[in-house]
This record gives sequence, C-alpha cells and structure tokens, in this order.
Amino acid sequence: MGFFEIRDLCKSFDTVTVINQFSIELVEQTLCCLVGPNGAGKTTTMDLITGRQKPTSGQIMFCDEDITGLDEHEIARRGIGRKFQVPAVFRDLTVKQNLEVACSRSTNPVKNFFRFREPVFAAKLEEVLALTGLGPRLNTEAGILSHGETQWLEIGMVLMQDPRLLLFDEPVAGMTEQEIEKTAEIFNRLKKTHSLVVVEHDMAFVKQIADVVTVMHMGSLLAQGSIGEIEANERVREVYLGDAED
Amino acid sequence: MTAGSFFTSFDLSAFINALILGISIASIWLIAALGLTIIYGAAGVINMAHGEFIMLGAYSSYMLQSSFGLPFALCVPASFLIVAAVGLIIERGLIRYLYKRPLDTLLATFGVSLVLMQGVRLLFGSDPKYIAVPPAFSSNIQFAFINISVFRVVVLLVTIAATVALWALFYRTRFGVQVRAVMQDKEMAASFGVNADRVYMLTFALGAGLAGLAGSLFGVLNIVLPTMGAAYVVQAFLVVVVGGGTLAGSVAAGGATGELQSIFAYFTNDTFARFVLFVLIVVFLRIRPQGLFAPSAKRR
Amino acid sequence: MNLYHNVRAQWLAYLVFYLFLAAVPLVVDDNFLLNQLSTYGVYGMLALSISLCWGFGGILNLGQGIAFGLGAYGMAMTMQMQSQDASNPMPPFMLNNSLDHLPLLWKPFANTGVGMVLALVVPTLFCLVFGGLMFRARVSGPFFAIMTLAMLSAWGTLILDMQPYTNGVNGITPPAPLHLGEFTLDPYSPTAYWTVLGLLVVATVVAKLMTLSRFGLVVQAIRNDAERVRFLGYSVAGYETAIYTISGFFAAVAGCLWVTLTQYVSPAQFDTTFSLSMVIWAGIGGRMSLMGAIFGAFLIQGAQSYLGDAFLNTWLLILGAFFILVVRFLPKGLIGLVESALGRLGRKRGHDNGGSVPAQQMLPQPGE
Repeated sequence: MGFFEIRDLCKSFDTVTVINQFSIELVEQTLCCLVGPNGAGKTTTMDLITGRQKPTSGQIMFCDEDITGLDEHEIARRGIGRKFQVPAVFRDLTVKQNLEVACSRSTNPVKNFFRFREPVFAAKLEEVLALTGLGPRLNTEAGILSHGETQWLEIGMVLMQDPRLLLFDEPVAGMTEQEIEKTAEIFNRLKKTHSLVVVEHDMAFVKQIADVVTVMHMGSLLAQGSIGEIEANERVREVYLGDAED
Repeated sequence: MTAGSFFTSFDLSAFINALILGISIASIWLIAALGLTIIYGAAGVINMAHGEFIMLGAYSSYMLQSSFGLPFALCVPASFLIVAAVGLIIERGLIRYLYKRPLDTLLATFGVSLVLMQGVRLLFGSDPKYIAVPPAFSSNIQFAFINISVFRVVVLLVTIAATVALWALFYRTRFGVQVRAVMQDKEMAASFGVNADRVYMLTFALGAGLAGLAGSLFGVLNIVLPTMGAAYVVQAFLVVVVGGGTLAGSVAAGGATGELQSIFAYFTNDTFARFVLFVLIVVFLRIRPQGLFAPSAKRR
Repeated sequence: MNLYHNVRAQWLAYLVFYLFLAAVPLVVDDNFLLNQLSTYGVYGMLALSISLCWGFGGILNLGQGIAFGLGAYGMAMTMQMQSQDASNPMPPFMLNNSLDHLPLLWKPFANTGVGMVLALVVPTLFCLVFGGLMFRARVSGPFFAIMTLAMLSAWGTLILDMQPYTNGVNGITPPAPLHLGEFTLDPYSPTAYWTVLGLLVVATVVAKLMTLSRFGLVVQAIRNDAERVRFLGYSVAGYETAIYTISGFFAAVAGCLWVTLTQYVSPAQFDTTFSLSMVIWAGIGGRMSLMGAIFGAFLIQGAQSYLGDAFLNTWLLILGAFFILVVRFLPKGLIGLVESALGRLGRKRGHDNGGSVPAQQMLPQPGE
C-alpha cells in the first residue's frame, strides 16, 4: 500500500472507451508529468481522480484509502488539490477573498456561520504571496486580473488548500518565458514537500521539473520513467511522430 | 387515502376514458412546451414570457376572426406569423443583449410578460373573449364507451403535425444542422461560418410562433383572457425541465406527465393530482437532474 | 478605496437608515398610515430574504411565496384559534363546509406558542427538504428557479383545493388581533410598527453578519463558480441548502408579521405575481446589497400605493418596462448608481493623494 495508486482504471461514454486499464503509482514528494498526444485521456484522468467524473471500473487509492467514486469535495478534503486547464477563479471576489475561500480548513457550513476568519490564514497568505508575488493585487477583483496573474492566483489557491497531492492541468499555457521560468522554480521548490502531477505539452518545461514522466496513449499507459528513458523509448517516438504527421 | 375506494369504484370504461383524456392533456402540454423547448434548447433562454406569447396567439385569432371575419382554419397559421413577428422584435430589441446572463434573460422576459399582459388588458379589456369554431369541431366523438370532443382530437393532430415538422426542420434541413451545431458549441460553429446570432434570432421567432399557434387552439378550449398564459406556462416549463431541453425529451415528458396527471386525477381530483405530479417531478429530478434526454454537457 | 465597500460605512448607513425609520411614528399620527408603513417593513424583510438567496448566493428563487404563505397560514390559524373556546371550538367557515369536529391539522394551533413555532418551523423544514433534494441533485440556475415556481403553484392549488381546512379562495380572517398573554398587539399602533421594524433590524444585522462570515464568503464564491468551490473541499449542496433555508426562514417570519398586521391570509399569497414581485423589488433596488433590496421594496410598494390609484391600469406596464431597463442596463440595481458615484468620488481623491496607494494602507479609515 502506498501514497497514491490507480489500478485498472476504465472510463467509457456509451460505446467509446476513453480510459482503458490505466494504472500508475506515485511516490511521495515527487513530481510526475503526465504527457501524451491530444485525446490520450489526461484531463479525463484528472477528472476521475478528483471525482468530477466517476470511473466505469477500477480503483483509486490515496493514503491507504479507497477514494473511487467519492464526491469532489470529499476527495478535496482528503488532500487532493487541482488547478484547472482554463483558470477558474471567483471573478467578483478580490484576490484576498479568493485565497481566503481556498484556505479551507473548516468546511462545515453551520460552523462557518460563526467564523469570521481562518486562524491559519494570515501565515499561509504570507507564504503564498511570497511564492506568487500577488501582494500588490490583494484588493483587486479577480475578474480584472491579466491572464498570467489569474494563473498565479489559481496556483495560489491550490497552495492555500495545503493539499498533499497537487494536480495541475497545463499550468503554463499562455504564460510568457519569464513566467514559465518562475513556475518551474516554484514547482521545484514545492516537490520537496508535496507530491505533484502536472499535465503538460511543453516538453522543455517538463524537462525542467519532472522526476518521473508518464506517457499516456489512447487511454492507457504507454511508458513511464525518467525523462531520459522516455526520450529514448521507441514506442513513445512512434506515437508522437505518428501524431505529428496527421 | 384512495386505497379503499380503488377496488370499489374502479370502472374500466371510465379508466380508459381517463387514459384517452391523458393523451389529450399530453398533447396540450406538449404543444404549449414546443416553443419553449426549442428556445431553451438552442439558445439556453428560459422564456418567462412564453405564457404571454400563448395569450397573444389567442388574441390574434380572436381579433382576426371578430374584426376581419377570417375563418378559424386561417386564424391558426396567421397567429403563428403574428406572434413570431412579436418574438422577433423582442429578441432583437432585448434578448440578444443578455445571452451570456441566463438568469437575467429569465428576469427580463418576466418583465416582457408583465408588459404584454398589461398591454393586452389596456387594449382589449379584462372581460373574456371567445373564439368561434366550425360546428363540426364543437361536437363529441362517441365510440362504444369512449367519449372525446372533436376539438381535442384536432389539437392532438396539430401537435403531432407540429412535432413532426420541427423534427424534420432540425434533422433534415441545413438550418437544422446549423441550430444543432450552435447548440453543441457556439464558438466552434461560428468558426465554421455559422451565424449564431441569426440562428438564435430565428429560433426565438420560431419558438414564439409556436406559442402563438398553441394559443389560438387554447383560445377555443378555454376562454381568452389577458391572464390565460399563466395557466399553461408552469406545465410547459415542467415538460422542458423533465425532458431535458430536447425535442425527443419534451415529447416523452409531455406524454408521461399528461398521462400521469389524468390517471392521478381519475383516482383523486385535478388539483390533488397536480400536487402529486409536481412532487413526483421533484423526486424524479433528484434521481435524474439532467432530465430524460439531455444533450451531453460541454467540458471545461 | 470605494466608500461603498467600506464595512464601517455600511454599518453607519444602516444605523442612520433605521434611526430615521424608527422616528416615523413620532411624527405620523395616522394609525392607518402606520399600519401601511408596517406592511412595507414586512415587504422589506421579504426583499432582504431574496437578496440573501439570489444576490449573495446566486440562487434565483421564484417561489419565496411558499415560505411566506405557509408562515402566514400558520399564524392566521393560531390567531383564529385564539378566538375559539370550549363552547365554540371550530372556526365558523368549517361549519359552512360541513365539518363536525376540529380537524387534526388545526389542533396544535389551539396553543398559541405551539402554533407560532409551527408557523416558523413548517416553512423552514419545507425549504430544507426541497432545497436539499434539489441542490444535492445539482439542479441549479434557471432550472431551480423553474422548480420553485412549479412548487409554488402546486402549494397554491393545494391550499385552494382544501376548502374545508383552509376556507379555499376566501382565506382565513382572524377576527381579533394577536394576544400574547395579557398583551394585545394592535396592528394599528406604533407598537406594531416598532415590532416589525425591530425584527427587520435584527434580520438585517444577522444577514449582514452572515455575509461577512466565512459562510457568506463561500456562498459568494459559489455564486461565482460552484464547480470550483467543490474542488476546494466545500459541500456546495450543503451551503446552497443552508442559504436557501435561512432565506426561507426570514420569509416565514415576514409571513407571520404580515398576518398580525392585516388579520387576513388567502391563496393570493401563493400567486406567482407576488413571489415574482419580491424578485422585482430586490432587482430594482439592488440584489447584491441588503439595504438596496429593502429600499427597492419600499420604493416599489410605496409607488404602487400612491401612484397606483392614478395609473391603476398602466402601473404594471410601467413596472414591467422599468424592470426590463434595470435588468438590461443596471444589473446591480439602483444602489449600483450609488456605488459608481462613490467610486468616482474615491478615484478623484485617490488622484489627489498621488495615485497608487500600497494595498496595506488601503484599510478602511474610521469616520469615512
């Protein structure tokens, strides 16, 4: 039994099988990059892990507990945080309020009725602001942030949650060179204390951050290993080259 | 409360009549819901003024008949055109600015419904109006123990015709392909050269026209009043909600709810049947919130 | 910093607003007018409940009349039973409907305390169950609005139909005002006015604190993006059910107060037009602002009473057209005008100070 494990995961819509017998295992405090051509099932895998979709069959284990088929909020409470592909922040709320909502130590609606602030919030806020540099924008409405800032805010929100496993769906999409650099730095710092799964297309970025690379193809595991092993793998080359010819 | 009376009062012929009445109720609810279904299905707009469009249809028929002496058979398509034109004006003047705010379209169309209802009241007064039909329509069909009014059969036939015509429009024409493309993914459809704005406009007008058509029939079934729309609109909404916003869903939902209403009413009474039906719908939505036949949701 | 968003300034505005309202009976002698103003207070509470649910929670409720009406019926039944005694145990309308004994449904209302508790508990419980079912199934947005509308019409027809128990379309008209022990609440008195106002103040303070709490923050996040909130570990259905139920409780309180003021209730309280006009009050006044919504109720109901006679036929036409304009051009309602005016003022001052102020220094200043 380990930290995080997916066993024989399957997901089909009507007759189409999107995820087919997919299994992986993650070790704590590593960064695993999930790569693969379009339609390989990466985002669906994220959805299945976080409970957004329910698997047709298979098992997802987290910290020795079966979390298959639980609701989104129950999985989140167990310590899995997720950043979406299209940045999803609360547009009417200020940056500070966004982070305050994300700092979800107490989730009971009745108890939160009588709570006006989260005790750990101040300390946590300083930490997140140091990483993301959103300090000057604290009282700005999230709806008017730039694209890059919105990405930072959502990364900050995931950090606020303080999850044990962080899932990032294309975190550097639409970022400038410097911003990608900064994100890589943050991820490299994070993986010393957290476990991360990052879905990414940008191979240069993957090289900078990945401990392990998992390649998906047609909903199944194609290869897994260090970045060097993956680059040398014949089957991976075939899939990617085949894809490029289309 | 009805278990005791069930065995003592069960009467097969009356029950079969209730089932047939159920089909008629279903056809009425369905034709009331057709316009709402396509407007919701294509543009995601909950049109609160739908009941008033129905009312406008009834008044159009009344006006054409009493002022211009148009025969009833011509009043029906004329009402379709008149209300479609009203719908077109409202879409261009108001709704098109609100497509991105679904709750606000609901509220704005509620404002429209107030204006239409009060406007008609100012023009025509609050007293009931009647639409005359050819004498053949106002008789009853007797067949063994089955008894149903001819006009209800007419409504059923018009409903079937309208549904088939809509189906053909959506699945057999170029316009239909465009509407379905916009329903699935507006941006994608736009990038393939479909003019989503025009599709929305025409669907809204078509939906309004269908309400007008329904209204001209309901004006015969019932009296014509400025407030008559309210009587149909809740049922029409429920048909759309239970059906999931698709044409096939509305047909199935209209059939099921109409039939259930009639069966419950057979054992109790009309109002209690309605209450039970609504509670059942709430329970049904708990199990299947997306409705009977829902299009698959767009992924994030 | 926009003064409009300053929490201290908001509390100050409430204080001034309510002090002004509390002073009204000191200058108004006409008890009929006072009674009318008290009913506006009830409408204000309804608008407040809509603002909580729709403005803050993003849950459009077109069936708030259910909670209001059930509360009102409970209170009317309680007050009716206060006029019955051993020699005359049944309300007169039941005799006309040929009932020979008091139905079980009415028995608990013989005890005033129990009756009043039921008048509040039944509607709240209904909201809890109905909201729980709907929100767990993730019915939301326009679909939830439609379901509330359907439930409203179902309740309306049911009450209309249960003629022997509810007196059908005629409704219940308790012959005497509410007694609580020795005390009689005369609806045409400053006491009644202050009672309503006092409860409105309490409701406003509770609602305001709620929006400032973490609960309120999460609810506002749900309004923005319910899906995202789930992935932060919150049970969205739980929060939605809670805000919907609390809003329903406020409406039930309003229903009870309304009956004590008017000594009358009928299925008209379940009319869709009534529930929708609550939404109009909040929408025109400003659904995102508690005070805006309350002000909207005063404004529309006041205008309806004073202009209504002159423009009886065109009133709904004007109201409908006005509402369309507000939805189209002023999504934040009339109070939104105040917000942007204060924002412009704040920006001007900001420039005088030399433009950008560091975020940490932008804390609310007392006395602003």
